[in-house]
Amino acid sequence: MATRTFTGNSWLYNLTSKKDLLWLTIWIAGLGVLWIWDALFLNAPAFVRLQTAFLNSLLTGLMVVLFSLTLGWFLGVSLNTLEHSKSKVGFAILSFVTDILRSIPQIIAVLIGYVVLTILLHKGIIRSSFVQMVWIAGTIAIAVFLEVADTIRQRIDYFRTLDFVDAMLCCGIKERRIMNVEILWKNSRSHMLHKLIAIFGISIFLQCSIDFIISVGLSTDVSLINFPMTLGNLLANVDSKQDILALSNLFTEPGYVSVIFTRHLQGLSVAFCIVFSMLCIYMIANGFVRRHKLA
Amino acid sequence: MSAFSSILHKENTGLRTRLIIHGAGIILMAAAFWVFISAVEASRIDSRESDNEIQKYLDLRKMDFGDPVDRTLFRESLDVFYTGQTQRNDSVLTAIDNLRQRQFSDPAYKTGDTQDGLTWNMVRRLSGMYLQFIAVYGIVLIIIYLLAQRIAVYRFIKMKQHRESYLTQALELVRNARANRIGSIGGSAVRKLGLLLAKALVKGILLMLLFTPAYVIAYSVKTTIDTSSILFMILLGIVSNGVLIHTANKFFTFLVSESRKGYVQTAVVKNLHASYEWDAPEGIPLRTLLQIKHGFRSHVFQSIFLNARFQFIPALKEHASFLVTGLIIIEMALNIQGHFCYELLQQILYRQYDIAAAIIFGIFLTVKATEIAIDIWEHKEKRKYGY
Amino acid sequence: MNERKYHIRIASEGRALVAIDDFRLAKSAITVLLGESGIGKSLISLAIAGLLDPDELDVQIDGKPYAAYLRSQEAIDIRRNGFFVFQEPSSHLNPLLTLRAQLREGSLAAAPDEEFILKKLWQGSVSSGVESILDVYPKPYRPSGGEKQRILATMAFKKMAASAAHAQESLFIFDEPTGNLDNRLRNEFLDLLVENFRNRMTTIVLITHDYSTISRFTNTYPTVSNHILYRELLLEHRKLHLRDFLPGEYISWLEKRNATTRTAQKTETVLRLQPHVKIFGRTLSISRDTEGRNPEPLLIRKGTVTYLKAPSGVGKTTIVKLMMGLIKPETMSMELGSAVYSEKTDRNVWAQHVWGRQMTMVFQHADEALNQNSKVKDVFNGLPIAGPLNEKTIVKSLSELFEEELVRGLLETKVKYLSGGQKQRLNLLRSLILRTDILILDEPLNGLDFASAAKVIAMIEVKLQSGIGVLVISHNEEVFDTLVAAEDIYYLHSSNPNRTLPDTSKR
Repeated sequence: MATRTFTGNSWLYNLTSKKDLLWLTIWIAGLGVLWIWDALFLNAPAFVRLQTAFLNSLLTGLMVVLFSLTLGWFLGVSLNTLEHSKSKVGFAILSFVTDILRSIPQIIAVLIGYVVLTILLHKGIIRSSFVQMVWIAGTIAIAVFLEVADTIRQRIDYFRTLDFVDAMLCCGIKERRIMNVEILWKNSRSHMLHKLIAIFGISIFLQCSIDFIISVGLSTDVSLINFPMTLGNLLANVDSKQDILALSNLFTEPGYVSVIFTRHLQGLSVAFCIVFSMLCIYMIANGFVRRHKLA
Repeated sequence: MSAFSSILHKENTGLRTRLIIHGAGIILMAAAFWVFISAVEASRIDSRESDNEIQKYLDLRKMDFGDPVDRTLFRESLDVFYTGQTQRNDSVLTAIDNLRQRQFSDPAYKTGDTQDGLTWNMVRRLSGMYLQFIAVYGIVLIIIYLLAQRIAVYRFIKMKQHRESYLTQALELVRNARANRIGSIGGSAVRKLGLLLAKALVKGILLMLLFTPAYVIAYSVKTTIDTSSILFMILLGIVSNGVLIHTANKFFTFLVSESRKGYVQTAVVKNLHASYEWDAPEGIPLRTLLQIKHGFRSHVFQSIFLNARFQFIPALKEHASFLVTGLIIIEMALNIQGHFCYELLQQILYRQYDIAAAIIFGIFLTVKATEIAIDIWEHKEKRKYGY
Repeated sequence: MNERKYHIRIASEGRALVAIDDFRLAKSAITVLLGESGIGKSLISLAIAGLLDPDELDVQIDGKPYAAYLRSQEAIDIRRNGFFVFQEPSSHLNPLLTLRAQLREGSLAAAPDEEFILKKLWQGSVSSGVESILDVYPKPYRPSGGEKQRILATMAFKKMAASAAHAQESLFIFDEPTGNLDNRLRNEFLDLLVENFRNRMTTIVLITHDYSTISRFTNTYPTVSNHILYRELLLEHRKLHLRDFLPGEYISWLEKRNATTRTAQKTETVLRLQPHVKIFGRTLSISRDTEGRNPEPLLIRKGTVTYLKAPSGVGKTTIVKLMMGLIKPETMSMELGSAVYSEKTDRNVWAQHVWGRQMTMVFQHADEALNQNSKVKDVFNGLPIAGPLNEKTIVKSLSELFEEELVRGLLETKVKYLSGGQKQRLNLLRSLILRTDILILDEPLNGLDFASAAKVIAMIEVKLQSGIGVLVISHNEEVFDTLVAAEDIYYLHSSNPNRTLPDTSKR
């Protein structure tokens, strides 16, 4: 529902009536303000690291979205096809495997992926940062792609309950076309885009969490410095941890607030980046649901 | 009929099938872990035997393998005893160097632990940690379930009351003042504006807090609060990582979706109360947020709530899994010694992959147990309503 | 007659949905509101009844905002004393409350006459009786669509009895209350409606596409006929108008059609379905007598219309889906052309030889059967048509059922922006363009106004000349009886009349 405060045809009205675009604007604006503040007050090497970390995290997130979409679409359509085929064996096996995958917490799946990556790094099989990021994205995608598959199955199952599928079959339209074009492409793009926005948010969360966790070290031969610079990686950095620890000074010295945003900027900037991004992505997803009436 | 025998009843085929699938999954994973653990154990035994052989050389008195002269002497001695086996003799020296390196750098050798792998002692130790993990998980799950419903209901009712956000109300105040061409905003309006902005700021901070990863919250209060206490862990599990807000959002989505369904319109034409004002004659009493399941009698919202709750039960599985992820992150990231998930990280570092596998299996069982419990609960609810 | 005139505007996100200056509602009368599906009958009725959500739609009544209308005494009286029977019964019943509890909820708790009303609406019913369903929680498959519709009607009649003292201020709206009922049950409903009206002289609006209601009212209730008004909502020059519909228009059209005697043509049989089919644990049998004493195979012949009749809930839609290979029976035998199809026939065989090639089917709900997000020209994509399907062919096809001046503009229009009647016509055309040997029509006049229905009937008659065999299932018996020879009418019977089949029409 459009806010009643802004009426008429103003751009502000248009923006406030589309909450997803509003929060996208707020996100970009917020990051912009942070960028300007850091450019003014953060030391140059840390500023470069922060930019690199943010872009790497963003790129990894986008790769997760792409991989999840591909895997999820394939699995969702396959499960649906197998479910309605003559022999149910394929469907039973695939369902069973996905059921097991669903029971493994996402962070554990990502952790296993990192353990394997560590071994590959140690053996020198993987060297390039970009390949590492692709591996990390692939690992996270395996942990989250089931959500895309579920969305696809729900959409196909919904249309199967209507006369939609039967009516088109009776006209001789191929089932493959009905699933992929008529249902998923023409009628489910909004639903899938919403799911992908949510997955982007989850991937940022998982990336940051796992990078922070492995700052303890998964191996004596490989540590965080071997991995590409990401927001979680940067947050786990000793300097950033010290900056976060400094926040607790505010409880005992409220006056410290005047200093904290200039003296402990690296850690605060990274933390703000992470938290602010996750909040904005959540609000964008919600706004998207409302605008496209998905619920 | 006992709970178990009722599951075997023919009317419960759907639930039986699901339980069989869960059971098969557990058996398969248990078998996979067992094979993995056995393989690791076998490899450890081989490695230990090999190390024992090499250790004999390291135990030679007055032999310093760091000294090049001693090394050369040793190498030549090997050639004397094992003539013509140059490759074997080279690999002995390499093995000695490797063992020395490991003894120097590998943390597994430094802890004083015997590195015996998954022994009964280790299992006993892990069991204690596991029970604590499950207890924390159970408490957090129940609290999140209860809180999320209330937050969602409150948000839904506020939406129906058409309350604008604090920021929008503040902007409206400024806009009205400018539209009335008042040179300056009056005193009371300034106070109202200040109050609105303060409320907006507090709400924004609370929202940010709910999305903040646990390790950020924990590190920011580390010097003032004992972040390794169970109570703090429970609080962190509820408040951080976005679990509460996502769960509440899911329930809210179901409420909105149900409120658009036709049966609500039929309830309206049957003249059930349809006002969403707090404590109004045909509205909703505020205290019903406490007695939520049956607190909305004679109001259309009762049907909306019950239907949304019915849809929400199976969706809880997904959120429970996400909660487990959150708790794992908390234990690992905060480096809390003696906690189940931190132990996992330590064992990976020490290359005790069999112990790590056992911990992962324990976590898998936790998620599976939750899924089974929710499936049974869902089945019971469905049977109640004739499904 | 005392009339209230409404000036109504309804829009959504800046897009006008309904704009009418002269919606007249006669007090203390039954208004039969006609018009094609999607034109705005339900929206207007909901607006007047005070049931639209001002958060979702921008509504103005008589130039004032909707909130002001809702606060008016008129709207308060309507909500307090009136009732609205909604169109889709499945979604308008609470799945977590028994039907008995829902019949006694809110202002219906103390309302009288429940037993009498239920008895009237369930007498001689195919199903096992109302008592067996009152304690069920409504599901998509139980009770049937017709039973759900009767439950909602019961609620309305109870409310009528309860608010008898305020009959003058009340308004009762029935939106397609007989869509899932066979003729006998529809007549029971109409009898009860007229009886209640006679006793209370309340204001009633009956929204329907079933033009045979006109025949029923005219023939059965001549004494009340001056209190029954027929009004049709139509779009003329892009503006919505309410015009008086003369019942004579329909009746004389019907009489003209009835004047032509139909005789069965001895043309080649293209389909033969053996009389006994087993599905969902029940046996369905086909005969040419109403009692089902002499089962016979169902025959579809070239250039003829075969009409399959049965009471509501017996399984007409189920059997045609079975004939199309969409659902798998336990036993069946069907000859189509030179091939035999049975319960063992693989789905791939149906896909490769039958669907869109030898046989096709037009489903009753065009909203579900068509892709709402496709453009009209894209509706024909993917069809197994020999030869190119270009814009010229599509335009020619559309011109059969759409006005010429509209056709070019329609091609780029998304299906969701068409009216209900336009969708149904498009739904029909998609199947006709395939030129199959057999065409199955499931409620083909659903959602159409009289003019469009007449066009569709005329078009079917033209197509018959090309040799196509048509199977029709429809509750518009008095219309389709004029199209079909008596020898081509079949009846469907169920082995267990007390159990209705799952609602495969999903309504």
